[in-house]
Amino acid sequence: MNTQTQTETVNKDQPSFARLRNLWNDYLPYWFIAPMVLVMVMITFFPGAYDLYLSLIEEPTVNILNAEFVGLSNYETAFTRGGAIHSFVITITVVASALLLESFLGFFLAALVAGVESSRAKSFYRVLFIVPMAVAPVSLATIGRIMLNSEIGVIPYLIETVTPFAAPAFLSEIPLLTVILLDTWNWTPFMFIIFYAGLSSVPGTLIEASRVDGAPLWRRYVHVIIPYMKPVVFVAVLIRMIDLFRTFGVVYGLTQGGPGTATQLVSINIYEQMFINNSPGVATAIAVVYLVFVIAIANIVIAKVGFEGVWD
Amino acid sequence: MTKEIDRRTLIKTATGVAAGTALAGCTRGGGGETATDSGDGSGSDGSGSSSSGEPPIPLSEYDADIDWAQFEGSQINIGAVQHPWVEAIKPAIPTFEELTGIDVVWNILPENQFRTKRQTDVSTGAGQFDVFFMDQVVNQYREEGWLQALDPYFNDSSLYDEDWYQPTDLFEASRWQAHGGGFSENWTGLPITVEVQTQFYRTDLYEKHGLEVAETLEGFVENAQAIHENESDVVGTVGRGQKGYGMNIYVLNTFLRQNGAELWSEFPSDSGLDSQGVIDAAEWYTSLLRDFGPQGASTQSWSDVLSTMQEGRAGHIVADANLFWPGLTGSDSSVADNVGIAKVPSPSDGQFSPNAYNWQISTSKNAQNSEQGFLFMLWATSEPTNTWMHLNNEAAFSVRQSVWENDEFRSRVGEDFAQVTLESLQAAAPDPFDRKYPEWGQRYSEELQRALAGQKSAEAAMTTAAGISEDIYSE
Repeated sequence: MNTQTQTETVNKDQPSFARLRNLWNDYLPYWFIAPMVLVMVMITFFPGAYDLYLSLIEEPTVNILNAEFVGLSNYETAFTRGGAIHSFVITITVVASALLLESFLGFFLAALVAGVESSRAKSFYRVLFIVPMAVAPVSLATIGRIMLNSEIGVIPYLIETVTPFAAPAFLSEIPLLTVILLDTWNWTPFMFIIFYAGLSSVPGTLIEASRVDGAPLWRRYVHVIIPYMKPVVFVAVLIRMIDLFRTFGVVYGLTQGGPGTATQLVSINIYEQMFINNSPGVATAIAVVYLVFVIAIANIVIAKVGFEGVWD
Repeated sequence: MTKEIDRRTLIKTATGVAAGTALAGCTRGGGGETATDSGDGSGSDGSGSSSSGEPPIPLSEYDADIDWAQFEGSQINIGAVQHPWVEAIKPAIPTFEELTGIDVVWNILPENQFRTKRQTDVSTGAGQFDVFFMDQVVNQYREEGWLQALDPYFNDSSLYDEDWYQPTDLFEASRWQAHGGGFSENWTGLPITVEVQTQFYRTDLYEKHGLEVAETLEGFVENAQAIHENESDVVGTVGRGQKGYGMNIYVLNTFLRQNGAELWSEFPSDSGLDSQGVIDAAEWYTSLLRDFGPQGASTQSWSDVLSTMQEGRAGHIVADANLFWPGLTGSDSSVADNVGIAKVPSPSDGQFSPNAYNWQISTSKNAQNSEQGFLFMLWATSEPTNTWMHLNNEAAFSVRQSVWENDEFRSRVGEDFAQVTLESLQAAAPDPFDRKYPEWGQRYSEELQRALAGQKSAEAAMTTAAGISEDIYSE
């Protein structure tokens, strides 16, 4: 009797076990990536959803159980007295200017170093040009404040000693330009490294062929080298652009977004709304709009420039 | 069997690591040992007692009509920022622990992290901190219902003895700020430190140019001009220009009040920022810094001001915290022997009322050990503890007049510094931190910074600031 019952149970279980095994085998790749998907949901989706939730409740409070929904009121505040539009304009100015400068300078330096024949000299320049990238944003801001200080800074001193011009008050007279130039100094090495790698990958035979055909240097770059490097340029610009949208530390350390709000990036505006004004609702409202804005810009760039040649 | 032991060991280790991580930053008593040292959660005894076993301050100093030992065996959590006050009081904590039998656990964090942690603690009702540092957000917290008024404890005869505590020994400005800066009739906490604005000047340059220390605004401008125009590498004066409610407006508020103006002449409908007194003060301050200050004065933070003076590149600091004194006269200063301290200048027809700032300690409505916390506040701000802290440490921020009058203390910090600070504190008029002060203060400081940078006139800046501030309250 007992034996018979056991046999029946085994027979009953076999199909369901087989089903499970089939389910496991059929979706094997999905099971493997499931933990990672779960982690991504936890670290990306959940904070995003929580941000959205905070942007819709009354401020200031972090006690979500007692929070009162206020619709789009925080968004209205963000774009009126919160100064969100102004900070978007400042951010776009900084991103566009710094991206252009860093791309041109990075490419120019990469082309110069690629043209150096001595391998020792090449190594020296490679190391020299990537040093600024190693400086941490807060350190850069602190050093920058001291070096640009009109009374004790070395840069105004050098300008006034070496040139016939009076040094400007960098952080109060030309704060936005100063921020752009400092970021350019800090991050041109990133573009340099990627462009240098891209230039090194251009087949020598292609360049040689264009030279034999009588193409001058500029035509070799415009018609041969740059088109060949298009995927590299695209990836470098896209990564740097997204990173520029996230700029905070160096500008906050340097100017705190001032004078007034002359260098108030969106990231600084969000920080001030959150930690100075104690307005999490307004801060998260700006953050939500900013996130959508950056995703949209990145997608437009991808759609316009395309991924051809990037992934394949 | 081996497997079982390994698993237990693993669990114990993991638990220890997790507990260690969770408790990182917590220290007990005055010794500064980490709570994880003991491993069993009870922590070290935290005794910082002397080798003889005697507490640092004799218990006889606390002979008051207070039942100090009524909560023996309990524990309080203190939320604090990394601040010299903490360093000065920590060695005295064994006295409190022996007096009351209450264990003290510190949760010390950098200022920004502490602010976030504090807000989370009180707004979620967690009540982890029984006592915590409180600053400009006092009225925001009070109106949200997060702070607990201390008056019921002051009225409890087992917790308070007025004759012993001597509340009138606390500076009036400190008591006023502890009452929400005029916005509350109740004690919102007890003041622990105070700083007041004073003027600093170069004695060698004064002697060289035959200058007298200025008591009036006009006299100050003349002195600044004399140095600015006659010294090649030295500017006439420096002052805070950077935006932030603890930056440029902290200094400007001294001068606007001395002009007879006030913030929120009618709360919350009239900010007073576009009144003539404020505009005059803003014009005076902006023209002073733009004419006789460093280039880029609008971006100078307090640390820039201090370092410019320490480097010998400025003739004066027009007005800033008296706590600059050790930095200006210490080994880091190249002009240590040539710096003088004086009261901030005031209008010839105005009043002397420099700005001051207090840190206070408060307790929240959800704190689990508020009564024990109150005993701690009382002990920490009492005359014996204050005097001990200021005679046995580098501290110079007492909220008690008796400390500033103490001969031994005056001899340690210097007679000039002590006397100027004492007189300034007696006349001080701190900022009233209404519940939206951080928000409108930030915008007001941005407008002042624009004026200092030359982007607009002082009058236009203050008029804009007034509109913004009133808008913030109109919603």
